[in-house]
Amino acid sequence: MTRLFRRQPRRFSLRKQVQSALSHMAIIGVGMFFFIPFLWMVSTALKSDIDVFRNPPTLLPHDNVTVEVNGERLPLYSVTQDGVTRQLALVSAVSGMGTFVDPADPSTPMEIRLRDAQPILRVALRWQNFADAMNRATRPGLGVNFWTYFKNSLIIAFFAVVGTLLSNAPVAYAFARLRFPGRDALFVLVLATMMLPFQVTMIPLYLLFNEFLHWGDTFLPLIVPTFFANAYDTFLLRQFFRTIPEEMCDAARVDGASEFQIFTRIILPLSVPVLATVGVFTFLWAWNDFLGPLIYLQSPQNFTMALGLQDFQGQHIVAWNLLMAASLIFTIPIIIAFFFAQRTFIQGIKLTGSKEM
Amino acid sequence: MHSGQASRPPGRLARWVARWSPTTRRHFRLGMLFIAPWTIGFLAFTLYPMLASLYFSFTEYRFRGTSQWIGLGNYRQLFQDDLFWTALGNTAYMVVIGVPLLLIFSFICAVLLNLKVRGQSFYRVVYFLPSIVPVVASTMLWLWILNPNSGILNSFLGIFGLHGPNWFHDPAWSKPALILLGLWGTGGTIVIYLSGLQDVPVSLLESAELDGASWLQRLWHITIPMVSPITLFNLITGVIGMFQYFSQAYVFGAAVATVGNAIGAPLNSTLFYSVYLYQNGFIFLKMGYASAMAWILFFIILGCTVLLLRFTENITYYAG
Repeated sequence: MTRLFRRQPRRFSLRKQVQSALSHMAIIGVGMFFFIPFLWMVSTALKSDIDVFRNPPTLLPHDNVTVEVNGERLPLYSVTQDGVTRQLALVSAVSGMGTFVDPADPSTPMEIRLRDAQPILRVALRWQNFADAMNRATRPGLGVNFWTYFKNSLIIAFFAVVGTLLSNAPVAYAFARLRFPGRDALFVLVLATMMLPFQVTMIPLYLLFNEFLHWGDTFLPLIVPTFFANAYDTFLLRQFFRTIPEEMCDAARVDGASEFQIFTRIILPLSVPVLATVGVFTFLWAWNDFLGPLIYLQSPQNFTMALGLQDFQGQHIVAWNLLMAASLIFTIPIIIAFFFAQRTFIQGIKLTGSKEM
Repeated sequence: MHSGQASRPPGRLARWVARWSPTTRRHFRLGMLFIAPWTIGFLAFTLYPMLASLYFSFTEYRFRGTSQWIGLGNYRQLFQDDLFWTALGNTAYMVVIGVPLLLIFSFICAVLLNLKVRGQSFYRVVYFLPSIVPVVASTMLWLWILNPNSGILNSFLGIFGLHGPNWFHDPAWSKPALILLGLWGTGGTIVIYLSGLQDVPVSLLESAELDGASWLQRLWHITIPMVSPITLFNLITGVIGMFQYFSQAYVFGAAVATVGNAIGAPLNSTLFYSVYLYQNGFIFLKMGYASAMAWILFFIILGCTVLLLRFTENITYYAG
């Protein structure tokens, strides 16, 4: 690009190489902090119950290598005794001692200390965990499983997207393009509401929906407000609508189009990318929301995934593999959406400065 | 908050409206029709709840009963409530230590991702991906990573002969653990910083390089000042967000607690402001008390924003 200032290519090559190596090391080093927990989530989701609590933990899911002895599948161990290492199958174990047999000659059992024996492992992915996590009846008798929560999250997120798009677009259009008295003052009011923390309106809203409208334990308190526009999306859409050339609308006006026709026939078709951004972000917000469902939803039949994940934490023991499998099921739709709409994601973050997606 | 119209005397407002031409009237009606969703939503879901919570904050609210006006009683009681101060202190810890750490770390990540290396777009995805994991899921994941017995972090530290802390089970380490969880999900802030870094004029960096400025000098004297408006933006949104910190603390309080009170476990070390507010409002059903907390929160946030804007006026660089 900058031909004039092109430096001599060879002279700094060693220095450049060292710089490049250092850059890579730093990026990969920090990248591990982001990557390994992710890998750990996927790996745990694919581990068997025993493998989860293996100490020290293995980064990849492992399973015991087994052999068939007298019609039974037994785990294979590597046993070291008197400097000789053999592969033996474990029949039973009692307080530190194990009964082993040689798979080649199963007739003579041997008593060997378990600490001389190391299980032989192989990488094994337990995909069954995903099915188990989805189908596990975490609350017996209610007919509720993770599918229920998945379905509920999907319903709420779907209607939130529909409501947000339907309600914010016309409002944003009015603030962007219509000229009417009081418009700018009202727009300042819209922006001012962004400053208000949810905590301030949370309790009266709860009472309004629960006690007055009797919408407690339904999806309505989570869906209905999205049909009444919000400051962030109105602002975002307005900023975009203002970039659409006014001349196009004027031309349509001369041809006798009404404002409503201009809005639906010209503005909306030109705004598909930004509408997609708003849609994706609304979906994420509704999908991830925890406080809203926590306040409004009481029966497990109505829980979203954000609430239902806690089912996997029992009183004493946590089924970490199933919990991680469920967490992944919770996350995967978002990751898929991200890979389909990467540009939309990044654009949305830059436009809204939103970190709480 | 007040619009231009509201400050006009009503007589003038009426006269102003009367002077509108038929076209203006038509425009006004059309505008009102288009913004109707917002107007209704604002009145029902913002203005009414705001006024109601202000009113509740001066009452001893009885759930499904008659409330009693107690004036400043809730506010007075709050200032004598030890847990209120605990919650405020815990939140202040996250704001004062957590937010700057998050910003510095995000900035460093953005600088790394802006380096011209092969596979840059791949690394960007890796750094960003954790931030789209739903917070409840990422909190669960970190509970598992930081599990003192079978977790991967303490096992990793064990390789070097280090004995990792008990993290979520130790009141001294529970907040650092939450900050760690926050760092992992900081992708959004990284993206914002990255877009800021890409706006730093290349010509400026190149001329500094020709003048013999080292990479660190360029970073310190050009890049950091040039992205200072973004730092300010991230700082303000970070502080506002941290004062409302809830889901992560709630989820792991519930996971860590053995019996009884799940909120704030261990030993109220994760009893943050919004968590205590929730507890008062929805568990103790002291809704008047919780409303008073909400209004105090609002003014703290407002105050912090104003102070940050005031103090950074001279050290923020706005190009153009």
